[in-house]
Amino acid sequence: MISFLLILHSLSAVALLGALTHQAISVWWPARQRTGSFVSSLRSVPSFTYTNAVIALFVLTAILGSIVYPEYRLSVRVALQDYRMHVPEGAFELKEHFISIGLGLLPAYWYYWRHAGAKDRARARAIVTTLLAAIVWYGFLTGHVLNNIRGFGS
Amino acid sequence: MNGASGNLARVLPVFSAAFAAIYIASVQYNWALFTYQAQSGQWGWLVQPREGTPMYWYGWLATSALGAGAIALLSLALPARLVERAGAVLVWLVPVAMMGVIGYVLRGYFLR
Repeated sequence: MISFLLILHSLSAVALLGALTHQAISVWWPARQRTGSFVSSLRSVPSFTYTNAVIALFVLTAILGSIVYPEYRLSVRVALQDYRMHVPEGAFELKEHFISIGLGLLPAYWYYWRHAGAKDRARARAIVTTLLAAIVWYGFLTGHVLNNIRGFGS
Repeated sequence: MNGASGNLARVLPVFSAAFAAIYIASVQYNWALFTYQAQSGQWGWLVQPREGTPMYWYGWLATSALGAGAIALLSLALPARLVERAGAVLVWLVPVAMMGVIGYVLRGYFLR
């Protein structure tokens, strides 16, 4: 069951990562005209359409993570400590706190994207989106590395 | 977004900034609203004594949400323009600063 939930957690994280990365790129580097190239398509996505999906995916990923978290504390973290793997252990501690800060950022993220055309909120909107994207990238990579160290069924 | 809902929504950036600050303070001083004992599966209010593997993370989140909600509501008493302007900066500055603080607090993991 834990492995199944961990896979779901990973899949929702992948979807979240894609949505936030698209949004962050298009908000900083918008395409004036879509030329049909891959990069142009990446830059010209309608960013505001991602907002609700990002919030739902972030919350879903965090909930799934919070369900499998006790298993990490009971089996994985102990093994990391036994093997004196302090860097991965510390990286996961950071992930826990960064994701929490990201959860707290979601209301402001929603607020700044609610009126996506408002120029006076453009900078805050761009920075909050980038911060969330950075948090999700960090969380994803750390989770991936931890899973490689001691993942499914180990 | 007009009227009451607009007024309430403008304090959301304040909520997010306050959440980050209260969360890091909760971690540092262990202000957990409740504790989950991972081995026994028991929940208890506030910080519970160690019985195997206590987990405070859920409690820290709850403390932060309640505290940030209270601060956001209090900020409704401030002028809307001030809240909007300050919120637009604090909303990213406080979380970035708090991420730096927690990185510093946890530096021992990376310097051993």
